[in-house]
Amino acid sequence: MSQVQARFFTENKKYLIDDVPFSIPAASEVADLSGVINKLLEAKNDGHKHVEFDFLVRGQFLRTSLASHMEKENISTEEVVEIEYVEKFTAPQPEECIMHDDWISSVEADSEWILTGSYDKTARIWSMEGKAVMTVAGHTDVVKDVAWMKRGENLQTGSLVVNDWNSERNKVEARHCCRGHAGSVDTVAVDPTRTKFCSGSWDKMLKIWSAVPTVEEDEIEEPNRPRKKQKTEQMGLTRTPLMTFSGHNEAVSSVLWVDAEELCSASWDHTIRLWDAETGEQKSTLTGSKVFNSISYSPLCRRLASGSTDRHVRLWDPRSKDGSLVLLSLTSHNGWVTAVRWSPSHEHQLVSGSLDNVVKLWDTRSCKAPLYDLAAHEDKVLCVDWTENGKAIFVIILTCLDLKLNYHYPYV
Amino acid sequence: MWCGNIRRRSAGCQQRGFWPSFLEASVKNAHTISSQSPISPSPPQSEQEVDKISLLVFITFSVRSQDIRNTVGNIPMEWYKDYPHIGYDLDGKKIFKPIRNKDELDEFLDKMENPDYWRTVQDKMTGADIRLSDEQVDLVHRLQQGKFGDVNFNEYEPAIDFFSNEVMIHPVTNRPQDKRSFIPSLIEKEKVGKLVHAIKMGWIKPRRPKETTPQYYDLWAKEDPNSILGRHKMHVPAPKMKLPGHQESYNPPPEYLLSEEERLAWEQQDPEDRKLSFLPQKFACLRAVPAYSRFIHERFERCLDLYLCPRQRKMRVNVNPEDLIPKLPKPKDLQPFPTTQSLVYRGHSSLVRSISVSPSGQWLVSGSDDCTVRFWEVSTARCLKTVEVGGAVKGVAWNPNPSICLVAVSYDDTVVLLNPGLGDRLVCTATDQLISSYEEPEEVMDQSVQWAVAEGEGHEQGHRLILKHPKAVRQVTWHGKGDYLACVMPDNGSSLQVVIHQVSKRRTQNPFRKNKGLVQCVSFHPIRPYFFVATQRYVRVYNLIKQELTKKLMANCKWISSMAIHPGGDNVICGSYDCRLAWFDLDLSTKPYKVLRHHKKALRSVAYHRHYPLFASGSDDGSVIVCHGMVYNDLLQNPLIVPVKVLKGHTITHDLGVLDVTFHPTQPWVFSSGADGTVRLFT
Repeated sequence: MSQVQARFFTENKKYLIDDVPFSIPAASEVADLSGVINKLLEAKNDGHKHVEFDFLVRGQFLRTSLASHMEKENISTEEVVEIEYVEKFTAPQPEECIMHDDWISSVEADSEWILTGSYDKTARIWSMEGKAVMTVAGHTDVVKDVAWMKRGENLQTGSLVVNDWNSERNKVEARHCCRGHAGSVDTVAVDPTRTKFCSGSWDKMLKIWSAVPTVEEDEIEEPNRPRKKQKTEQMGLTRTPLMTFSGHNEAVSSVLWVDAEELCSASWDHTIRLWDAETGEQKSTLTGSKVFNSISYSPLCRRLASGSTDRHVRLWDPRSKDGSLVLLSLTSHNGWVTAVRWSPSHEHQLVSGSLDNVVKLWDTRSCKAPLYDLAAHEDKVLCVDWTENGKAIFVIILTCLDLKLNYHYPYV
Repeated sequence: MWCGNIRRRSAGCQQRGFWPSFLEASVKNAHTISSQSPISPSPPQSEQEVDKISLLVFITFSVRSQDIRNTVGNIPMEWYKDYPHIGYDLDGKKIFKPIRNKDELDEFLDKMENPDYWRTVQDKMTGADIRLSDEQVDLVHRLQQGKFGDVNFNEYEPAIDFFSNEVMIHPVTNRPQDKRSFIPSLIEKEKVGKLVHAIKMGWIKPRRPKETTPQYYDLWAKEDPNSILGRHKMHVPAPKMKLPGHQESYNPPPEYLLSEEERLAWEQQDPEDRKLSFLPQKFACLRAVPAYSRFIHERFERCLDLYLCPRQRKMRVNVNPEDLIPKLPKPKDLQPFPTTQSLVYRGHSSLVRSISVSPSGQWLVSGSDDCTVRFWEVSTARCLKTVEVGGAVKGVAWNPNPSICLVAVSYDDTVVLLNPGLGDRLVCTATDQLISSYEEPEEVMDQSVQWAVAEGEGHEQGHRLILKHPKAVRQVTWHGKGDYLACVMPDNGSSLQVVIHQVSKRRTQNPFRKNKGLVQCVSFHPIRPYFFVATQRYVRVYNLIKQELTKKLMANCKWISSMAIHPGGDNVICGSYDCRLAWFDLDLSTKPYKVLRHHKKALRSVAYHRHYPLFASGSDDGSVIVCHGMVYNDLLQNPLIVPVKVLKGHTITHDLGVLDVTFHPTQPWVFSSGADGTVRLFT
């Protein structure tokens, strides 16, 4: 077998070539195929610049030679092989690092600003260029998770109490202090309509709070807690939860909104639970075998990705009712996977950070190995996030313990 | 008519050629009626003597069937012996016996004179003498010779073979064929019907295929090859001699001849080690070959070989060593258990003697020889707090009550109760309130331990209560409810080795008036009011309510280092400095149920998991061994103990490896603290 009949196609209109089957050597690899496509494109239009392509055979990235790939995937060599080609993603490069004084527990990026929560009991806002815009001090304990409430206006931090902040250009004011959890709040998530947010805590509870900034918010007096009252006067108004979901047997480690009505939470009791945000009912349970550290949901491909206290990133279908159904396991890390995050604009890509100091960029179409390893860190990775910057440039932000800095990876 | 009757009868008699003489008279009377009587009495002409006795018998027989005159019938004639008559005739008149007055002489004379004497017989029925005729005598003769009575009877008539094997043209009989040969037989129809019914019912199977396999009895099928009969199969042939090769040739190819060095090496070798027992030599011709000097020697060796060769094949019992190992489940099936090192908690600068996990499992406290106590976040290995104390920390213990946030730390002769201020603020403040709400009792008891409230800088750091002991405290342990705290002050021979503090009342008790031996560690029973005290060689179980010794466990080792109680309370493990881990089943015996010797060096610490069937042991060899220890509710089933994993990670410093192990309260994770100043989490 020396020649294979192949037909190339692409979704990208810019790189369209004629829909004719070609006979190509079976031993050709990605670089060879890329050269073929470039030659064809040059022949078609003169002003073509050389572009590196990546190739997909039946939805799987081509990583070895075409012959061995087809043998592994059991594809017949007799027929015409349909090969999709896409523009190759370039390896993300570290662009900038922002020094932090202490460990960064969480990060959430906006198109303009980056919000970080730190173990030094502050949350900070940074501009994309790496300049500190603001420091939000006011927490009495470690900030465990942060979330943007409304772009440029509100942000929300969670530690032992959940605070709601109103940030204007140079002024930060604590909006609400949401009290009610009996354990440390590990995770907060704002719903898509930006009117509510949910918090998950070590006390096994999920609580939903209102995020609507009402000036005439009634301050709830708690006569039996005089000390707390003093605090609330300092920090703003105290809020009580709208709703409390209990059902987890262990600490809630991660929570997110699947859509405006549905809530998903991952816990140390080895389960991911889906909740109806309106009624508070538990819709379904996905059971794993290890403690979940982090989950992420992609509305593009409608999959849940979970990082747990083993080496695997697992993909789940949240709509499956029968519980434990792992669609895919991505295994390459050597330590606990502490953070996973789907790409906001690409349905196949996700990024995962692990305690083995490596951040990996995955494509679900090549599940055997990650696309790229981002190994510029020297200590544990606790959180990662993507940001949308402009139209097509994405920056992966990740945090590291040791050097206390943020890396920006521009990523086209 | 009567005569006719007689005649008919006499005709029957005539066929036999005999006519009884006693009828003679009547026959003579009847001569007139039938002159053609076939028998006319005539004197016998034969000179032959007739045996009288046989004749008499014969006549008796004849009379029996021929008597017509005497009507007495066939009776013994002796019955009439004493009567004058001998019977009755047809008319019913007596037949008188003839007068017999012959004596022996008359008999003799008669015999001499009467020529017919030999043919005269006496008729028994009538008693008369009868003279046999010639025919009669002839008949008697013929019968005596075994011939037919009838003279004219031809016994050799020619035989006609009617039903011969020869096929005849015409049938023997000209009988027409029967009708029944043309119509179906009802009987046969009935028989066939029965067979058809039997076939239909399956009682008979027609056309059953014949079994093609030969049916024979396998005589040797069950024969035991080891039996005496089977011995001939175990024939061991005598060892064969090796055939000579090229080396033995008188003219070997040059490559078989030894070079000079090889020859030297050969000569220096021990005769037993030599590959060849001779030196190959080359001769010009066979005649030049000298006598072989080792011939006798080799013959002798050969004889020895034959003499000493094995005669019998020894049947050795082949035991697979795998079979001797007890069947244990595979560790793979016993998951979950910790397998890999996940996190390292770095920060201490000296050996970490003791660790403890908060009841929620969120925080970890570690006490080290660098005089600090550190609080860690379990999930990230972040050191949240460092508290300095005034000495090398020997023991830390987190209060197991989730509503109290207190950590007991022991260093030197002091036990400090710390409030780390972690977790829910309400719990922390409630704990502080609980401690500050103590009211001094009216009568001050004289206690051996001084209680003091921390103030100033110590209070800022989290110190709440300081307990000054008379001696150095080695171990602190909480009761499950979180109010009582037991401290161990090992001191041989002292009566004050174990004290139990009650935190809420700030009271100290010395539960034992006298301690036997050096107390190593103590522990509360998780459920019942028992108290375990481990001395060097024994573990004593005390009932705290009855205040008596309940059990004394003999650990069977030299020096117990550590002890852990199963959450069910019926099982205890003890680690010892002589590398052993002893598992006691309290219901079973006071001796160890199982002793595990997996560690290479002294065990420093043992721990049970609260929920999972796991226990772990840390040792000076730097390893933590995790075992699956399943305790069944069924009292009849013994605990199942399977070592599942050896966890390595700690570096050995100053000959010390792992100093303390403890399990996470909810997850199957194990923490270990080592002499290298790190705490490691294995998941």
